[in-house]
Amino acid sequence: MSGTGPATAIVVTSSTPLWYATRATGLVALVLLTASMALGLLSSVRFERPDWPRFVTLGLHRNLSLLALAFTVVHVLTTVLDSFVSIPLQDAFIPFISSYRPLWVGLGAIAFDLMVALIVTSLLRTRMGLRSWRLVHWTAYLCWPVAVLHGLGTGTDTPTTWVLVLTASCVLVIAVLTLWRLARAWPARPLPSTVAVVLIVVTLIAGGAWLHAGPLAPHWSTRAGTRTAHAAGVSKAEHGISR
Amino acid sequence: MSQSQEAASRRGAQRQSVPRQPALRRPQLRVNPIACEAHGVCIELLPELITSDQWGYPVLRTGAVPLHLEDLARRAVADCPTLALRLVLPE
Amino acid sequence: MTAREYPAELTVQPPPLGELRLLAGTQPLSLTEHISRYGPIPRLAGPAQLIAEVERSGLTGRGGAAFPAGRKLRAVAEAARVRARPGRAGWAVVVANGSESEPASRKDAVLLALAPHLVLDGIALCADAVGAGRAYLCAGHSGSTRALAAALAERDRAGLSRIQVQLTDTPDGYLSGQETALISVLNGGAPLPTFVPPRPAEKGANRRPTLVLNVETLAQIGLIARFGAQWFRSVGAPDAPGSALVTVSGSVDRPGVREVPLGTVLGEVLRWSGLSRSAQAVLTGGYFGTWLPLPGASAVPVSEPGLRAAGAALGAGVLAVLPEAACGLAETARITGFLSWQSAGQCGPCRNGMPALAEAMNHIAFGRPGRDVLGWAQQLTGLLPGRGACHLPDGAAGLVASALRVFAADLTEHTRSGPCQGAAGAPVLPVPAAPMPADRSMR
Repeated sequence: MSGTGPATAIVVTSSTPLWYATRATGLVALVLLTASMALGLLSSVRFERPDWPRFVTLGLHRNLSLLALAFTVVHVLTTVLDSFVSIPLQDAFIPFISSYRPLWVGLGAIAFDLMVALIVTSLLRTRMGLRSWRLVHWTAYLCWPVAVLHGLGTGTDTPTTWVLVLTASCVLVIAVLTLWRLARAWPARPLPSTVAVVLIVVTLIAGGAWLHAGPLAPHWSTRAGTRTAHAAGVSKAEHGISR
Repeated sequence: MSQSQEAASRRGAQRQSVPRQPALRRPQLRVNPIACEAHGVCIELLPELITSDQWGYPVLRTGAVPLHLEDLARRAVADCPTLALRLVLPE
Repeated sequence: MTAREYPAELTVQPPPLGELRLLAGTQPLSLTEHISRYGPIPRLAGPAQLIAEVERSGLTGRGGAAFPAGRKLRAVAEAARVRARPGRAGWAVVVANGSESEPASRKDAVLLALAPHLVLDGIALCADAVGAGRAYLCAGHSGSTRALAAALAERDRAGLSRIQVQLTDTPDGYLSGQETALISVLNGGAPLPTFVPPRPAEKGANRRPTLVLNVETLAQIGLIARFGAQWFRSVGAPDAPGSALVTVSGSVDRPGVREVPLGTVLGEVLRWSGLSRSAQAVLTGGYFGTWLPLPGASAVPVSEPGLRAAGAALGAGVLAVLPEAACGLAETARITGFLSWQSAGQCGPCRNGMPALAEAMNHIAFGRPGRDVLGWAQQLTGLLPGRGACHLPDGAAGLVASALRVFAADLTEHTRSGPCQGAAGAPVLPVPAAPMPADRSMR
């Protein structure tokens, strides 16, 4: 959060190491998830170089997915343990039941559930049958944007420049690779590919507009559903800053 | 094999004091040619056993998978993007 | 389920004497004629009895793979016994394969026309043996559906229908009669082979244990059940018992379908059909088969082990004779083109390798092939076998390899001075015309 003077001091003294840990692990998890998704896309377009064989892409994809899950688990745990806001463990699994920013935390729960499903099914891949595995794996295209939205909507760091730049870079990487993937699919299936491209462009524009009118506009924490005392504590800091 | 895996296989061998089968059946690699889409991951991981034809499709070496390559073979089976590669025990 | 007793005036005939068994005459047999010639369908002590008798007889499948019929029966019976739900009889399925997609074969069509009741007897007996509740009789353009329906109606009226037999038209296409492709059709899918496992004996039509047998095999079973394994083995060779139907075509005076004792030498079988002196080679098995030189291979026994020892196979019982004036390389090129067109296109090695092989053969037959084309063709014949879901690429590779061997003299002439006279002549072996390139995209 930008700002100087006493307002910042209020913010600094009211945060705990757990809150920092939640934000940090959340951001790192997002970067790892993006990297994993990027490698998955590279694998689907059969990316290969003389010094970068297919199995490197696949191996990294698997390892980074597991790392992303690990960081997400820590992110969930630090959030639950942080007493400043009451977010019990079930809020991390069952979407939209949280009292704190229900929609945005709920999106996090959805992304987390999908991550667990993706990883568990991939560990059991050879026992599952290709069609069922593939069906679940397609939800990665849902998991990642939901995670990004969760980060933007819940994250108190969203208005900071470097977080915006980081998130924008992640979105750019995935958008470019997905377009590459769709370009590969286009000869065989022109209609679904074109529809997907249009959807992506529309989502990017809508996402940008929402970002501008939402998290980057004043009083976002209240509008996001930060309730009562928490809202007072956080928005007080925000008011202090915006003045 | 890792040390723990070696220890486990020693324990397994000791347990089987009376062999049920006259000879150990070693697994073989087989590919489902309908599912195979020539991704080539298996060819990269197991060049000793799988080579590529001019169209990128795998040519499997006949015979059992040698013991020292079995782990790699299992990884190739798990990594195959279309699950076309399998390890089977001969009938 | 047991057969009903017949009226007393119909006596059981002694087994047919001599070597004519399946093909008793040149006219279709009605049900009464069938019963008067062969006797009624026998009542067996139990399913195990038929399976044991067929195993003792040494009968092998007559559809092309020559798999021991008894073993197949036992496998399906066992799978059905293990997987049948308690109290639910008739879990397995019997499929009588009369598809005959091999262009050079007519034996199944002739058998279904002349002796449909032998085939239907075989179906009923096998259904009892494996515990099947329904059966399919698949005929392509090779059998007249109407005549078969009439035969079924005849049996219905005589109270002989112990099992529901559904007549099915096998779709056009060289692979449609292949075991797994046929099952795919019965399951409502495309006529394309599927990967095995699971074998049809484990999981076939409607995901049930399915017994797929050629119609000739079923007819033989109809006879074995009546007259026994000993009788069956009284004709033929010790390693290839019984009789078999062959389709002789090409440059012979009397082409057509013949029933021959297995083990008879090739020269004699061809002589029966009026072999012309100027024959240079014979294509055995089918279009997926192998060339053998004439008169060099005259002493080869017509049987699975006999032909295998000579590097060939009995296959679908095709014996297509090539006259001296024709060019074996040209015939092979045309057949290879046909086989390539018929590829299911499911497996990379076949989808890529078959057109390459056809193109190389075309160059060899109708151009002036250099050593690189010959080397490429040889390489392909080593690269194709065993890498598809079915044996089409194996068959094509074997055909080309045998052609390059048997017609080596023609090959030398082609490399020296281009296609010979025979290559420019009319085709001897009938090859259905390939569609225009646009049609290919509809597959």
